[in-house]
Amino acid sequence: MLLKVAGLEVAYGPVPAVAGVGLEVPEGDIRAILGANGAGKSSTIKAILGLVKARAGTIEFQDRPIQGMPTHRIHQLGIAWVPEGRQLFSTLTVHENLEMGAFARGKAAELPAKLDEVFTLFPRLKERRAQVAGSLSGGEQQMLAIARALMAEPRLLLMDEPSLGLAPKVVQRLFEQIQEINARGLSILMVEQNARQALKIARYAYLLEVGRVVGAGPSRELEASESVKRVYLGG
Amino acid sequence: MDLFLQQVLNGLMIGSTYAVVALGFSLVFSVMRVVNMAHPEFFMAGAFGAFLTITYVTKNVLGVLVGGMAVALAVGLVVERVAIRPVRGRYVMIPFIATSGVGITLQHGAERLFGSDPVLVPPVMPSVSYSLGPLSVTRMQLVTLGIAAVLMLALRYYVRNTKWGRATRAVAERPDVAAAFGVDVDFVSRLTVGISALMAGAAGVTIGLLYTSAWAFMGLLFGLKSFVCMLVAGNRHIEGVMVIGLLLGVLEALVSGYVTSTLRDAVAFGVLVVVLVFKPKGLFGSYDV
Repeated sequence: MLLKVAGLEVAYGPVPAVAGVGLEVPEGDIRAILGANGAGKSSTIKAILGLVKARAGTIEFQDRPIQGMPTHRIHQLGIAWVPEGRQLFSTLTVHENLEMGAFARGKAAELPAKLDEVFTLFPRLKERRAQVAGSLSGGEQQMLAIARALMAEPRLLLMDEPSLGLAPKVVQRLFEQIQEINARGLSILMVEQNARQALKIARYAYLLEVGRVVGAGPSRELEASESVKRVYLGG
Repeated sequence: MDLFLQQVLNGLMIGSTYAVVALGFSLVFSVMRVVNMAHPEFFMAGAFGAFLTITYVTKNVLGVLVGGMAVALAVGLVVERVAIRPVRGRYVMIPFIATSGVGITLQHGAERLFGSDPVLVPPVMPSVSYSLGPLSVTRMQLVTLGIAAVLMLALRYYVRNTKWGRATRAVAERPDVAAAFGVDVDFVSRLTVGISALMAGAAGVTIGLLYTSAWAFMGLLFGLKSFVCMLVAGNRHIEGVMVIGLLLGVLEALVSGYVTSTLRDAVAFGVLVVVLVFKPKGLFGSYDV
């Protein structure tokens, strides 16, 4: 198993955010965590990255426990992050953001080839490479956030609300691109409020409510389930 | 006119040193959101480092410079470990108070070690003056300016063009995201404070040599003036801090030359008051705390 989370608990002071989440991501798969605001989706992602402390539970990456490791080491094992709200280095140029993506990879000689690769996927970024990231449009910023993570050549991509704040047309294109990235062999764990879109591309999904997994299954089955339709897909 | 030019020249020498110290202040503030109140003591440590190097090791200028910077670096890394890293990311007053405490400890520690009177930093260069038409400039002044210029350009190159400089800017903006891309934020903290200490230490060496003395409380006024430079310039641009440092030096020299040197120290703080009344975020950019 590429990623295995069991019994994860996260709390901010006395307030529990995640209360016993378990999930798995097999190699090459694309999975989604669905749930409303405050369900503990982002906290789960941040706990995997070591950005918030897990109060209990285990997190294993490639069968190796990673909880308690510093964030930069977890990244070096091959986990990259597309944060909620992009969180680009907005005063750095597009090019510099991409270089930061490859920060841990060390070999400067491989950089141009990797750059070409992400520019093929997101040609718009090539045109904008000298601009500061803060000056990009919302859709372009999301492309850059994904491209930055791809520069790290990760084994697992954690995406937090990639569709947030984007126009429907842009979302459609974005999800196609995410699917394409997965098709090239990269495993993805995605957090989404846009359940309808997420279920279309994810093969398997977890339903989170107030910090707990209340349901899980292949996307097809979830899409067909009456309760899921009512709660997550708006009827 | 000759007096004017001469004073401008003298001012640039001192001003370049203000700029070097102010840049370190500004670097640590923008990257870690820490007002490092112990920063002036790196400057003081540099001057004593020069004194120690000359007394016990070598009189070679370069050697003295390296010795002073090394002492400042050692002090800087200790300050980073005890008063900056543990409180980084907390409300801005907490590191402010922690570093103030360490700063005061360092001042009195130095007083304990070296006494409360200034120690003599023996000259390491023959006191040669060069004349540029009606102006005269000493070799020591030229060395001071040269060192400051090299340090400022090196810092600018580092921040803009190197991998770790880029990582430093990334940490300044979003430490969590930088960490999630493999940047060891603790290392950047050490690196940043270390660089600021090296720069302040070099400034301490040159001022120690220029005034041929070092004393425990020399950081107070000099450090405060550099702090003013940072506030007046704003922390957004390295160039802004450089320009303000140089201008402050020139302004002080002109006041000394044309009015009275007793008013010299009032100038910096007067300028600060005026600027902050009209431009509370500094002349070139903002502070986001």
